[in-house]
Amino acid sequence: MNRTASMALIRDTFREAIARKIFWGLFGLSTLMIVFFLFVMKIDIVAGATASISLFGFRQHGAVDAQRLVRGVFGGVAAFLYSWGNVIAVFASAGLTPSVLEPGRIELLVSKPLSRWHILLGRYVGNLLVVLCNTVYLVIGVWLILGWKTGIWSPAFLLAIPTTTFIFAVLLAVVVLVGVLFDSTALSIMITIGLLIISLILAAKDTMMKLLSSEWSRRLWLTLYYILPKVYDVGRITLNAIMDHTFGGWMPIWSSALFAAVMLGSALYVFSRRSF
Amino acid sequence: MPADYAIETSDLSKTYRSRWRRREVRAVDGISLRVARGATFGLLGPNGAGKTTFVKLLLSAVIPTGGTARVFGRDVHQPEARRPVGYLPENHRFPTYFTGTGMLDFYAALSGMSAADRKRRIPEMLELVGLERWGAMRIGKYSKGMLQRLGLAQALMHSPTLLILDEPSDGVDPMGRRHIREILGGLEEKGVTIFINSHLLAEVELFCSEVAIVHKGRVALSGRVKELIAGKGYKLTAAQVPEALETALRERAVAVAARDGVIDFQFATREHANEAIDLLRRENCLIEALSQTSSTLEDVFVRTIGNGGGVAGAPKAVEVTA
Repeated sequence: MNRTASMALIRDTFREAIARKIFWGLFGLSTLMIVFFLFVMKIDIVAGATASISLFGFRQHGAVDAQRLVRGVFGGVAAFLYSWGNVIAVFASAGLTPSVLEPGRIELLVSKPLSRWHILLGRYVGNLLVVLCNTVYLVIGVWLILGWKTGIWSPAFLLAIPTTTFIFAVLLAVVVLVGVLFDSTALSIMITIGLLIISLILAAKDTMMKLLSSEWSRRLWLTLYYILPKVYDVGRITLNAIMDHTFGGWMPIWSSALFAAVMLGSALYVFSRRSF
Repeated sequence: MPADYAIETSDLSKTYRSRWRRREVRAVDGISLRVARGATFGLLGPNGAGKTTFVKLLLSAVIPTGGTARVFGRDVHQPEARRPVGYLPENHRFPTYFTGTGMLDFYAALSGMSAADRKRRIPEMLELVGLERWGAMRIGKYSKGMLQRLGLAQALMHSPTLLILDEPSDGVDPMGRRHIREILGGLEEKGVTIFINSHLLAEVELFCSEVAIVHKGRVALSGRVKELIAGKGYKLTAAQVPEALETALRERAVAVAARDGVIDFQFATREHANEAIDLLRRENCLIEALSQTSSTLEDVFVRTIGNGGGVAGAPKAVEVTA
């Protein structure tokens, strides 16, 4: 693979993300969160337990286990980042694939001595890196501030970086496939968010197995559950790892990765067969 | 062994099918064309003739439904086949977040140029197209003509040996057009093959040595420009021509234009011109001028397209040599 071209494609995605204010929008939201922990939330630790916590100047006294409290805060940040952060990231970056397919722009790109999959993959990786940069900035920022304020350093929180980015990579594969199929940013967002919601509903499989009366409906539910990405389960794995230092198993991760690979592979195939 | 032809297509076809309905449009219908290395070739045709689709097929931007296309002997589906090609698309939309320098750097990197080569070449290219003072400016501020010149610089960045230009003078003022022609002239001297897709016949006639006229997706006519426009004729300019004689001469002439009491008669043969002179002298008319003329490319174009493209009699493979 031509490294110069790969780097140029990634840089171009960053340049476009900056020009469309996507990068700085995400950076601004991350900064707001960091500032919140830096200035607004105050935790005083006395002999391993919190003496007080204050939010916007309102102080709550009481001895709480400091370790538990900090892990709870980390878990809250990770859950927020994982859920809302990813939704915002999908909204923000959904236009980056259809924009490349605009008439007058795509012809010149595909006329270069690059394979089509190289062009699309360069854009995908660039888009992923835009989100990864902001995730790293936010997670490391919050981790450093809380560690500095409380003296408690919980490396498990850093797991939010790979898991959040991983689920974004899965969702981005759907965004890219819809983008190359229909050239539509709006449709990319609708389908991806729809998939996200469906996967959250499907995660309630244990409850549904008891509620569903027919065998075929239970099988359908389970089939969809195993085929579609497991957004809820990967989030649960992250939270358990941060808060309780336990690990729930690899199945949600590898099956979601497989789903992403199929989506991205389909996008690359469609892109390589399209006329512009 | 290097290939003899810069471009070689065989029965190249593209049929567009609508996604839901079963409607088909044959944009390119079995074009076989050969362009020799170092040729300056013009592709002409009315709107919707299939010119741009043909160009996109050469660059693998459009997937053919039949036939083959080769550039310097390589199948255009191979990315390496496009390495020696510089391309300026029609109706290009360069991202406006680029500066002139940034845009050249990006597309040259995609062509595989090293950072050092790009850094050295960018100022040269900006100077060549007269944009040396605009390199740091965002291209959203550029005029249409400036964008076109920047697009040409982009196509030339990696020193291509085949230049494919789709409507290169689109939106460029007459001075700019002349400048572009001079640049292309310099490249022609260096042996670069230049393939121009244009509807500006006068420009193609000025610059290209060979042309093909495409009509309804097929090559209707092709050949050397000099040979195509060599159809002889005679223009006779006369004054004080009585009405009856004017009417008689109009019937013999292939074209007539009158202005300020002076009439230009265009005759197809020397015999017709001499007969007209005899008649005019007999009536004591004043003969202002007599000159031999050749057809313009526009005449050839109009005749070809007007004849329904002459497709039925067109040769299957068209070979054009430098």
